[in-house]
Amino acid sequence: MLTLHQAGLLNTPALAPFDGTIRPGELLSIVGPNGAGKSTLLSMLSGFRPSEQGELHLDGKPLREWPITELASRRALVAQQEPLGFDWQVTELVCLGSNPEQALVAELLDDLDLSHLANRSVLSLSGGERQRVMVARGACQLLSRRSPTARDGGLLLLDEPTSALDIGQQQRLMRQLRTWAVQHRMAVVCVLHDLNLAGTYADRVWLMHQGQRIDHGLPHLVLNPSTIADIYSAELQHIEGGPQGKPLLALAP
Amino acid sequence: MIPSVSYPRYRSVLPLSRSTRVLSGLTLALLIALGWGATTGALGVSPWALLSGEANALSVQVWWQLRLPRLLLGVVVGAMLAGSGAAMQGLFRNPLADPTLLGLASGAGLFVALWIVLFQGSGAASLYGQFAAGFLGALSVCVIVFGLAKRQGGGSAAVMTLLLAGLAINTLAGAGGGLLAFIASDEQLRQLSLWGMGSLTNSLWSTTALALVLIPLALWMLLRSASELDLLQLGETTAHAAGLDAPRLKRRIVVATSLGVGLCVALTGVIGFLGLLVPHCLRLWLGPGHRLLLPASMLGGALLLVVADTLARTLGAPAEIPVGLLTSLLGGPYFLYLLMRRSRSC
Repeated sequence: MLTLHQAGLLNTPALAPFDGTIRPGELLSIVGPNGAGKSTLLSMLSGFRPSEQGELHLDGKPLREWPITELASRRALVAQQEPLGFDWQVTELVCLGSNPEQALVAELLDDLDLSHLANRSVLSLSGGERQRVMVARGACQLLSRRSPTARDGGLLLLDEPTSALDIGQQQRLMRQLRTWAVQHRMAVVCVLHDLNLAGTYADRVWLMHQGQRIDHGLPHLVLNPSTIADIYSAELQHIEGGPQGKPLLALAP
Repeated sequence: MIPSVSYPRYRSVLPLSRSTRVLSGLTLALLIALGWGATTGALGVSPWALLSGEANALSVQVWWQLRLPRLLLGVVVGAMLAGSGAAMQGLFRNPLADPTLLGLASGAGLFVALWIVLFQGSGAASLYGQFAAGFLGALSVCVIVFGLAKRQGGGSAAVMTLLLAGLAINTLAGAGGGLLAFIASDEQLRQLSLWGMGSLTNSLWSTTALALVLIPLALWMLLRSASELDLLQLGETTAHAAGLDAPRLKRRIVVATSLGVGLCVALTGVIGFLGLLVPHCLRLWLGPGHRLLLPASMLGGALLLVVADTLARTLGAPAEIPVGLLTSLLGGPYFLYLLMRRSRSC
């Protein structure tokens, strides 16, 4: 469990302080326009940029007091795509940052529809395939380094994990994230650009705008058309009767 | 149904792992090369003659005082240049990086040139002064580069700054060297250019002993960083989340490389292409995992330098080709070939 007590950042990019809780077993989505501070927030949650105001607590202990290696067994980060200099094999890359059982690696590759690529060079993969490999690596780090005494599955932070995926793979990935959240009692935090994806799969949504978290709560309440149209400066059409009766947002032609 | 997945290259589950096989193979090759180097040269000495005491006094003298320190120096210098090349490439996440990038070699070179031109003594004093100057030059570049890296903290900006600082130092040292060459006498100029081409000629026990103590220390520091270098390949934010203290890793690699390479350059001049070529070729063969790549590069570098130096001693015997010239002549074209093949396959 990660709690924020008026945590914020002062320097550019700044982040206005706010309270918040991320609970095990839930899928939290962070949404907002370009430059709203989503990635900055994620690096603060991960501890890469320590909060300059307020405090973050992971499992009741201040985030800055966690030793860096111990922290790695409680939270993992899947950043936006970084260029890879060398041609790792898919399996080697998934194992970076942990020392997993062979069965776990095989299971994760299978979960993300990567088994047929296990021995391929990462440089030969498409953008979407590489993105799924990085998600598998993050999950592998959390699951294999999890201590036997841990009460929950830790914190998985993902920065736009669906940006290069086709719709079928988007669905598979979001379903898989939900499965991990429930099955391993993992807290999954996912920066998403597709609001309908957030509306369909997230338990809760944090809405970011100009370095502030301006709203949070259930997706269908936070993602209401008038707010969204306003902060994104977009003309929207609201379609009632989406999946599970949830409304859908579409761009007006 | 979970399909079976083969294990990563560097963690084979065979009783004799891939790493063991590769490293023992390279060690064996290095021992064979040392045996060849020990027995061939301007003065051929058979090891049996040495051991049984049948060799004449001059041969024994030559072998113990010149040949043996030279072979050992070749081993540690080759290992250091190639090992630090592998580490630099990992640090910059760029397969074309090498220790000269940081400006260490040229910094050392500038100081040696200064010594030769401004304070030239004679005999042994001159030689030691030259070593000390080279060592000092590399060390001061290390301090500059280290200070910059520290001020920048983490982040990819720091790597960029390091690269640019290296470029600036290289340019500055090149210009300084040019100026010195301009005011140098003919004799000094000859000495400068011979040192600049790189050779193991200056190997005496007194100086080799220094290298035999300090270089293994630097090698050990690099070897200890292998799995952290692997993590760094994920990018700095992800690596941090996976438990890597990137600033500490950078400091350790910069210090180890500065120490080791600074000493190498001071002792032998600039021996080109080992730091670039050996790790690059080995990575094509073994994959990018540093736990195997680093020790294999060190062994491969030692092997290549011992072979190249033996060739340099014997090809034009009794005259000697500077070994740096030889490695550059061999390495340059091969490297271009690799690049061409690479660009064609992309």
